[in-house]
Amino acid sequence: MNRLFQRKSILRPSPASMALSYVALGIWTFIVLFPLYWLVVTSLKLPIQVHEGPFYLPFVDFQPSLDAWYYIVAGDLSKDTWRTYLNTVIVAPISAVITLILGTASAYALTRFNYQPRLGAIFTFIGCAALAIVAIAFGVPWLVAIISALVIFFLLLSTIGRRFKRSMGNDDIAFWMISQRMLPPIAVVIPIYILFQQLNLLDTRTALIITYVTINLPIVVWLMRDYLRSIPIELEECAAIDGASRYRIFWSIVLPLAVPGLVATFLFVLVFTWNEYLLALFLSGAKAQTLPYVISSQNATRGPQWWNMSVLILIMIIPVIAMAIVLERYIARGLLVGAVKG
Amino acid sequence: MNFIKPVGILVLFVLLAVVAACGAPPTPETVTVVETVVVEKESEPVTVVETVEVVKEVEKIVEVEAEAAAKPFEGVEVNILTFVGPQVAEPLQRRGPDFTELTGATVNVVTVPNAELYQKALADLATGTNSFDGFLFAPQWIVDFAPAGFLEDLTDRVHNDEALEWDDIAPFFQDFNSYDGKVYSIPLDGDFHMVYYRTDLLEEAGLEPPRTWDDYLNIAKTLNGQDFDGDGEGDYGSCIAKARAQQSYWWIYSIAAPFIQSQGTSQGAFFNTETMEPLVNNDAFKRALEVYKETTDYGPPDELNLGVGDTRGLFTSGRCALSLDWGDIGTLAIDPENSNVQDKVGAVITPGSTQVLDWETGELVDCDETTCPYAVDGVNYAPYASFGGWAGAVNAAADDTVKDATYAFFSYMSQPAQANEDVTIGRTGYNPYRFSQFLNRQLWVKNGMSPEAAANYLGAIEASLNSPNMVLDLRIPQNQSYQQVELDRILAQYLAGELDTDQAAQEINDAWDEITDEAGREQQLEAYRATIGAN
Amino acid sequence: MQIDIKPQTQIEPNDKMTFLSRTWSKLSNWLERTSGSIFLWPAVLALLFLSIFPLIVSFYISLSRFSIALGGFELKFVGLDNYNRLLFGREQTHFLGLMAPPTPLSLFLFGLVVVGLAVFLVRYIRSSSVSLGGLLGRGVLVIGVAALVWILVHTLGPDGRPGTVAVTLIYVFVGIFFQYTLGLGLALLVVQKLPGRRFFRVVFLLPMMITPVGAAYMFRMVTDTSKGPFAPLWQGAGLTDFSWVTSPWGARVAILLADTWQWTPFMFIVLLAALESQATDVIEAATVDGANHRQIFRHITWPAILPVSLTLILIRMIEAFKIIDLPNVMTNGGPGTATESLTLQSFIAWRALNLGESAAIAYMLLFLVTFIAVSYVMLIRDRVVEKV
Repeated sequence: MNRLFQRKSILRPSPASMALSYVALGIWTFIVLFPLYWLVVTSLKLPIQVHEGPFYLPFVDFQPSLDAWYYIVAGDLSKDTWRTYLNTVIVAPISAVITLILGTASAYALTRFNYQPRLGAIFTFIGCAALAIVAIAFGVPWLVAIISALVIFFLLLSTIGRRFKRSMGNDDIAFWMISQRMLPPIAVVIPIYILFQQLNLLDTRTALIITYVTINLPIVVWLMRDYLRSIPIELEECAAIDGASRYRIFWSIVLPLAVPGLVATFLFVLVFTWNEYLLALFLSGAKAQTLPYVISSQNATRGPQWWNMSVLILIMIIPVIAMAIVLERYIARGLLVGAVKG
Repeated sequence: MNFIKPVGILVLFVLLAVVAACGAPPTPETVTVVETVVVEKESEPVTVVETVEVVKEVEKIVEVEAEAAAKPFEGVEVNILTFVGPQVAEPLQRRGPDFTELTGATVNVVTVPNAELYQKALADLATGTNSFDGFLFAPQWIVDFAPAGFLEDLTDRVHNDEALEWDDIAPFFQDFNSYDGKVYSIPLDGDFHMVYYRTDLLEEAGLEPPRTWDDYLNIAKTLNGQDFDGDGEGDYGSCIAKARAQQSYWWIYSIAAPFIQSQGTSQGAFFNTETMEPLVNNDAFKRALEVYKETTDYGPPDELNLGVGDTRGLFTSGRCALSLDWGDIGTLAIDPENSNVQDKVGAVITPGSTQVLDWETGELVDCDETTCPYAVDGVNYAPYASFGGWAGAVNAAADDTVKDATYAFFSYMSQPAQANEDVTIGRTGYNPYRFSQFLNRQLWVKNGMSPEAAANYLGAIEASLNSPNMVLDLRIPQNQSYQQVELDRILAQYLAGELDTDQAAQEINDAWDEITDEAGREQQLEAYRATIGAN
Repeated sequence: MQIDIKPQTQIEPNDKMTFLSRTWSKLSNWLERTSGSIFLWPAVLALLFLSIFPLIVSFYISLSRFSIALGGFELKFVGLDNYNRLLFGREQTHFLGLMAPPTPLSLFLFGLVVVGLAVFLVRYIRSSSVSLGGLLGRGVLVIGVAALVWILVHTLGPDGRPGTVAVTLIYVFVGIFFQYTLGLGLALLVVQKLPGRRFFRVVFLLPMMITPVGAAYMFRMVTDTSKGPFAPLWQGAGLTDFSWVTSPWGARVAILLADTWQWTPFMFIVLLAALESQATDVIEAATVDGANHRQIFRHITWPAILPVSLTLILIRMIEAFKIIDLPNVMTNGGPGTATESLTLQSFIAWRALNLGESAAIAYMLLFLVTFIAVSYVMLIRDRVVEKV
């Protein structure tokens, strides 16, 4: 009897707690999967079967139909579906990778270097940026405005700017970064739209990638900062004594150790960009539209087209699931890294 | 380590400038490229013979639109913005290739979700991006877009276009697509509310279709809770959409209209035409609020969260006895895939009232010859042209050839040869707006409506359209703020019980006054009088 | 001559090489010296490029009224009108909520918080490291917290009505509480060496991968009480004439359920990664020494995952304040204004072209998030991280 509650080895639970664990995991699995099952069932229904009340099992209590699947994948909407799908497939991974590179680098910098940006410099910069924008608002050509703001900034920096000696630290930089995510996208949609219009980048994937990189950078920096902190600095010190450069240390020591964190972070960023809706809607027209907009579009004057939506959500989630299954192995490797490290 | 070195800043700005400069030189616009293509094509004799195969009405259009070349818009690309189908966009996509065959112009239909259409169109126009040549949108928006010069004046084109048969379009819709006497859009759809009822249920219960809102409530009350479809569950007396941020601001005015307006269309139902005071803080509007709220008692339990699509689904699946809706239910009900109530649906003009508002006292008075000059059998009807139907407008900033092609496409879509078929198909979301559409019942019978149902449905439309007391939808600047923000929110709060009737009327009154004052009272009054023909 | 040439020809490549290697070593030295900047700057530049500009522009918009004008648009400067309307004008009951007259209970709760805050301030003043800045910051903090509690206590009472601020705060704090607890629990279960844990790992990630708009529609389907899968249960319980959407708290709970369903995976995956990267030998040693589960968790696991947890909560908090898709799709902010979040309120104003008010709401949200995030970092995160 006692053996039932005894664990055989570390991290391997006893049979009783294993059973309990399975029950708990099973309940949550059901909670997670049931809505998805409902999507699958709904995608096989005709409109009238949805409106008439709940039917649960195809073939048993209703006759399934592939009408909605046909409509989305091969029928009238297929052109829209595949075009937006392609855009999503291109935009999301590219922007996720770029974000991860930039974000991890600066997260590394924030954990290994000390920065002291001076308050005076920051305020003069913000002031000059505001000045430039006001000037542009009053009709000054924007290139002229930016250059003159630049000149003013340097003048101020070399005169007044030097008098303010107070400076900020790494944590302040990190907090400034995360604060860039605090403003709801709705407030910045119009300015960003105008920005990309000026750059002639509206309705391009490039615009979407740039936007997504900047909106997701703070998350990457914050998550990676915590991971990198937990990696012992001794290894790097040894490497530095052996004459390895910073970049080499970063590339061949820090990154491999941070793989679990990198993978998890990559997954988030991928998911965020894969699913982003509002900015994509505004920055894209016919060419660069992404998939979430097709889903949201299924709620038109006829009420939500549940069956079409279900199909779209399902085909949209499949590649991400595949990605999660592939990357899951790498997350698992985190355990090994931990063992080696000890 | 000194962090913000001037060098770093320099790098920053240089980079910014470089990035900016890279984008700066305007790339050659596609439109210009297209134009040269067109010129080339036109200059050489086009020898395309495929047009022979094109059907009869198609030839007619070719004659009208292009005398010299067989395909006047060869190579022209037209980008049209509308919301995602199947409704409304579907006919454009379906008929686009036909149009290309006919004229050579390629039509790209760009779709965005319904709720974002206005913002998207506006952002494109107001910032001068002009990536769309045509818009299929709500004519209510003309009042925002036309004065700013965004939309092409189509008056001359419309009157010189024989194939369009402009005079066949009901005068109400002609007006609704105009602003300041100029035509800015071509209707592809005609919208106003009607009441739908289940002929079988009312007959069984020995009830007449509702003539007044009191009748409506009585029928709903009587039939509510009975089992219509035999599944053992009680069904609902009335289904009217009430969800927030959907369209409840239109439903309330369908109910309020007959209580408020009795002296003909130019009297107005929203504001006092002398002072621009809202006509809401009075017994008539409060009565309408109460009626609207009472219908909740005879509806589905989650009616407060149902949009029009949900109530339509409920009605066509046979779970409701009454509903207030646009023309859509009529055509959806005959679609065997979507409907359990084929040939069981009747339609009548939106119910009226035997009492109307006295503008002086703010109280309800009984109908007589002076108070209700247009009453029928003592009942004042005021059908409300809510929304008014989808219409096609042309971007004034587009290239001339592109403008012509865009116009030609909307005209093509609205010509009887195409439109009279589209309005009889439920999934298009197009409802009748031409005389030929409701006079020629054969069209409807051909698409599956029984002759009686067609007579009934089209009769209700005709009765509404011919009413001299029709209520026009609000078409003054800021109409979105009046209706879709303030009225919608306060109505939702009222229906949810956060406000009582008096508070709700007072709040709408205050909110509207504030918008009016911000936008300029005189200006708004002027615009209001102009749009309802009160001058 | 030949002798002269020879060394020269030999030296020349040598010179070149030394030149090259000198430049190279110069360059690599320079790269090495500036590596701090090179690592950090790209991200800072990207943020400056796309964040500062919109931030300033939208602030200007919040001080103006947008209208369409001939050939384009016009922004008319109106000062603080938009803010004034939200805080003191017509939108007050919508934004802050309807304040009910105080009840004994609400006064008691408010008093409790005030006493707590007073103690906090007094403690600081008595401590050795008092500075003007620190005092000022704490003063602002105390006033802000007291104001928020005042609003919450008065609008959540029986006669009051929570405005969008209170509703948003409820979504954020209640939501995060459940998401974190569930996420941690699941991560602890999955980190065990159970057969089949890879399956659970992948399955538990699924909700996060659905686009929020899609998830919202899905939950509208699932929570529908007449056509949804739980309709028979609902009717069996005798609730045929009741629907959650008609009750303010019912609707809020439904939205919280959906939010928890979707965002628990976010907590789960990060916590799982954190648990997996902790050293197993410490746990092994502790087990050998006879420590039980609870002790191991309390003294080894918990301190190890605490920093990550706190960051995670901060990030999730910032995201949660922007909740819009769920209420927008599931209830449109109804019944009445019961489920309307700040972002949704901003969005509705924006959709009707009231860009000024929309931006003002967004900025109020920014102030609120910044205030709460800064307080969180100052009060909780920094202390805990320092302690560990």
